[in-house]
Amino acid sequence: MSYTHRNKIIRATFQQTYVYILLLLAAACALVPIIWLVLSSFKTMEDMFRVPMHWLPKPFYFQAYPNAWAQRDFARYFLNSAIIAISITVGNIVICSMAGYALAKFRFWARQFFFLAILSTLMLPLEVTMVPLFLIIKVFRWQNTFAGIIIPFIADAFGVFLMRQYILDLPDDLIEAARIDGMPEFSIFFKIIMPLSKPAIIALSIFVFREAWDLYIWPLIIITTESIRPITVGIALFMSNYGTDWNQLLAISTIAMLPMVIIFVILQRYFVQGIVLSGLKG
Amino acid sequence: MSENDLAPMQRTQRFGLLQRRALWGYVFLIPTVTILLVFRIIPMISAAYLSLTNYDLFTPPKFAGLINYIDLAKDPVFHQAARTSFLYVVGSVIPVWIISLLLAMLILKAIRFGGLFRTLIFIPVVMSAVVVAVLWRFLYFHEGMVNSLLGYFSIQAVPWLTTPRTALISIILIGIWRASPYFMVIFTAGLQAIPEEFYEAGRIDGTNAWSEFWYITLPTLRPIVLLVIVMSVVVALKVFAVPQLMTNGGPAGATEVIPLHIYKTAFEFFKMGRASAMSIFLFLVMMIFSVIQVRIFSEAGK
Repeated sequence: MSYTHRNKIIRATFQQTYVYILLLLAAACALVPIIWLVLSSFKTMEDMFRVPMHWLPKPFYFQAYPNAWAQRDFARYFLNSAIIAISITVGNIVICSMAGYALAKFRFWARQFFFLAILSTLMLPLEVTMVPLFLIIKVFRWQNTFAGIIIPFIADAFGVFLMRQYILDLPDDLIEAARIDGMPEFSIFFKIIMPLSKPAIIALSIFVFREAWDLYIWPLIIITTESIRPITVGIALFMSNYGTDWNQLLAISTIAMLPMVIIFVILQRYFVQGIVLSGLKG
Repeated sequence: MSENDLAPMQRTQRFGLLQRRALWGYVFLIPTVTILLVFRIIPMISAAYLSLTNYDLFTPPKFAGLINYIDLAKDPVFHQAARTSFLYVVGSVIPVWIISLLLAMLILKAIRFGGLFRTLIFIPVVMSAVVVAVLWRFLYFHEGMVNSLLGYFSIQAVPWLTTPRTALISIILIGIWRASPYFMVIFTAGLQAIPEEFYEAGRIDGTNAWSEFWYITLPTLRPIVLLVIVMSVVVALKVFAVPQLMTNGGPAGATEVIPLHIYKTAFEFFKMGRASAMSIFLFLVMMIFSVIQVRIFSEAGK
C-alpha cells in the first residue's frame, strides 16, 4: 500500500467518524426526548422529578395507564379520531384522484384555470380561514357533528396536485383501449386509473391520515360535546384539567403517539415518497 | 387518416365524442371544486367582508368600513403578536434550513446505516402537535430533563417557559426539532438528484469540499432550497397548538403568535370582525410566500 493511498484511507475514515458522531448526536436530539417520555410514563409521581435525574423507572409502575384510561372516555376519543382520520383519508383518495385524473387526462375549456385555482387554495390554510369557516359550519348547523369536522377537509389542493402529477405519466393507450371496449368512464377511473396509481395513493393516504389524526384547532373550535371529541382535544383538556398528574398525561400521550409511529415505521418508504412528491416531483 | 378525409357525418360524430369526453373532465372535477369553493374560497371572501364589519357573533354584522384595520394598526397587542410571529419565523426557519441541509448531506455521506439514521431522525415529525406540547412541557420543567442535562455540564437551570424571552426561545427550539427532519428528507431527495458528473467535472478542476459545496451543490439545488424556504416559512407562520398548549401565549404575550391571537380574539372575545381583519393580514403575508410556491408547483406541472 502506497503512502498516499494509506493517507487517503485514514482521511476517509476520519471523515466517516465525524459523519457518524454528528448523526448519532442528531438521532439523540430527535429520540432522547421521546424515550424519556415513554420511560417517565412508567414512573411514580415521586420517582418522576427526583434529583438527580435517572433514566429507568424504579420501580416500574404500570398503574398510570389504567388510571389515565379511567379518567375520561379515551377509548371514545381514539375511536372518534380514527373515524375522522379514515373518512378524511378515503375522501381525499377518491376525490383528489378524480380531479387529478381530470386535469391530467382530459382536455377541456379552462383546464389550466381550474388547475391554478385549485393550487391557489394552498394559500388558504385553516389558520387563515378559521373564523369564516366556523360561521359557514354554523349556517349548516354542523357544530358538534362528524360532518363538520370531516367534510371541509375531504378534498385538498395538495392531493390533487400529487395525483395529477402521477396520473400524467400513466399511458394514454390503456384508457383509449378501455374506451374502445366500451368501458364506462367511471369504471375506467375506478378499475384502471386508481389501481395503477397505487404508489401515489399510498403516499397521499399516509400524508392525509397524519394531518387528519393531528387536527386540533378545528375540532377545538366546533366540537363541545364529549361524544365527538378527537384524541388531540381530549389530551389538551386532560392537560389543562389534570395538569399535575404527569404520569397519567404521559401515559395517554404515549398511547396517542403509537399509531402514527407504527404506521410510519411500516410504511416509511411511502412516507418519504410522499414528502418528496410534495416538494420535488416535476 | 387525417381530419379532412372524414366524411362530414363522421366529423360531427367525432366532435360530439370529444365534447362528451370534455364533459367527463368536468364531472371528475366537480367534487373537488365544490369542496374547495364552499370551504376555502367562500370563507376567504366572507372574511374579507366581515373584516369591514363589527360582527360579534350575537348581533347581525354592521358595516364599519376600515375601522378594524385602523384599530389593528394602532393596537400594541396586535403589534406584539406580529412581532412574535416574525421572531418565531426568523428564529426557527434559518436554523431549520442549515440543520436540515446538513443532516441530508451527512446521511448521504454515511457509507452505511444512512437509511436507518434517516428513519430515526424523522420520528419527531410523525408525532402530533398536541403530544409534542405535552412532551416538551414536561421536559422544560425546572427539575425536568433539559435542565438536568444542562446540569451535567454545570450550566445553571434555565426558567424555560416562565420568562418572556426564554419562553419564545423554548417554543422556537421545539419548532426546529419538529421541522428539521421533514426538510431533511426533501433535501436528501434533491441532493440525490444531482448527477455525479457534476462533481466529477469539479474534481478534474481540482475543487475542495467547500468550493464543491458552494459552486456545485448549492447552485444545482437552488429550486429545492427555494421550495424549502417557502414551505418552512409558511409552516412557521401557522404554528398554533404548541404555543397554545405550552404557554397559552404567555408570559406577558411573549409567545402569542398571530394564529393564536386570531383564535383568542374570535373565540374568547367574539370579535369576529376584528379577527377577520387579522386573518386577512395573515393571508396577505402568507400569499407572498405561497405565490412563489404555487409558481414552483405549476412550473413543475408543465
